[in-house]
Amino acid sequence: MLCQSCGKNQANTHIKKVINGELTEYMLCDKCAAKLGYSNIFDGFGFSFDNLLGSFFAANEPKFMPLNNKRCDFCGSSLEDISNTGKVGCSKCYDVFFDQLMPSIKRIHGNTKHAGKYASAVGQENIIKNEIQDLNEKMKVAINEQNFEEAARIRDKINGLKGKEQSNNE
Amino acid sequence: MNKWYEKAGNYSDVVISTRIRLARNISKYPFPCRLNSNTKKEVINEIYRALSRPEFKDYNFSCINAWEASLAEIRSLIERHLVSPEFAKADKNKAAFISQNGDISIMVNEEDHIRLQVMKEGLDLEETYNEADKMDTKLDKVLLFAFNEQLGYLTQCPTNLGTGMRASVMLHLPALRRCEMIEKISSSLIKLGLTMRGLYGEGSEPKGDIYQISNQVTLGISEKTALKNLNDITLQIISQERNCRKELAKDIQTIDAICRSVGILKTAKLLNNEDFMRLISNIRLGLSIGVIKGISYDTINEVTINAQPFMLIKAANSELSPLQRDKKRASLINEKMSTVEVL
Repeated sequence: MLCQSCGKNQANTHIKKVINGELTEYMLCDKCAAKLGYSNIFDGFGFSFDNLLGSFFAANEPKFMPLNNKRCDFCGSSLEDISNTGKVGCSKCYDVFFDQLMPSIKRIHGNTKHAGKYASAVGQENIIKNEIQDLNEKMKVAINEQNFEEAARIRDKINGLKGKEQSNNE
Repeated sequence: MNKWYEKAGNYSDVVISTRIRLARNISKYPFPCRLNSNTKKEVINEIYRALSRPEFKDYNFSCINAWEASLAEIRSLIERHLVSPEFAKADKNKAAFISQNGDISIMVNEEDHIRLQVMKEGLDLEETYNEADKMDTKLDKVLLFAFNEQLGYLTQCPTNLGTGMRASVMLHLPALRRCEMIEKISSSLIKLGLTMRGLYGEGSEPKGDIYQISNQVTLGISEKTALKNLNDITLQIISQERNCRKELAKDIQTIDAICRSVGILKTAKLLNNEDFMRLISNIRLGLSIGVIKGISYDTINEVTINAQPFMLIKAANSELSPLQRDKKRASLINEKMSTVEVL
């Protein structure tokens, strides 16, 4: 099994914690165990899963950044708060700390750009555009599978949406 | 109208249920970790008001406040998979809205403001997603969800960014477990961006050979692609499980275990949950390989949920000691098993 903190090295340290009667278990490599205060078996109070994720966040960041005092003006979170808890404070934090969060996001998902449904926040026009794009891809698949009936049905749908798009623009 | 766990759907010999969960946040509030109890209640009220609008009337949502509900009530919601185990934890400023037919639940202030969940019997990812999508679009119009074009739906934990969608299927895999294939499947699923978990999701033990498989990556992969991946893999696992079952159908030890389970479930006077889950798994397997008849998957699904500890307490409407529970569980299953015959 790989280390649950860095996900790179073989895990060789098994940590069991009972907090309020609830058992949690982690498998860590010796480097991460040391970093999280488990080099000495009696250390490690105040350690939680959130910290684990937090360490995941901060892994590649230099320790003292000029940004350190910067706080999100909407929710008051600092980058340190986010790293410590593994929780982002609000939607604005993703703008404020975009450059700092992005490497971790990329590590988690392997991607950096959303694909899929659009919310109303981007405006009706963009939602329709996104839907058309989605249907175009579906139509290509249908054509490849020689399912022309389905392709025609999708084409009609696209035309319907294009009509809607135009009437919105007028 | 029957609830999802009282019915059996597509591929019901292997697939118990399909679930879609969407993580959403209201853009005008910080995420739950930056809210105090007053603002958390405000969020609950905001959602309460939204769900009282005419467009949501048909769902007939009922609201369960975590600060008022009894422990048994909340635990019974977990047993019906309507809320997550996380929901029952310390902070009480949470609420759950449950639709009348029990298919849709909306958890408020769990990890995100909203966790919208739709559940259906059997394997039906497309239809289940369509229902969740419809509900999500309606809610977004009223509540305005946090979203940006680059990162998609914005969530408290970056692991849910993008679609915010977790799709999962609950599978009964007794044959693959007996053939010691689970670990192998589980590790190959990771490579495909999927995960395998126990009955109640994250960190839970598999009980009664029931496993959940769900998508892991949410950013950069559209809902449709993620659903298709999960569906394709599920179909493969179903066919592997069925193949293994064919072998087991010839195995005298398996047949013996099934027949003994029938005997115990028909006549036992006390049944603890662990034994019950193990034995009912044998019944389900026995039905699918033609060792027994006289019970349907619907009934098995229903009794598996209704025999859970807090469902028994809820039905009795009073506190029950473990012994009383075991007695109630036994009499419940004795009755359901009365028509079962060994072939």
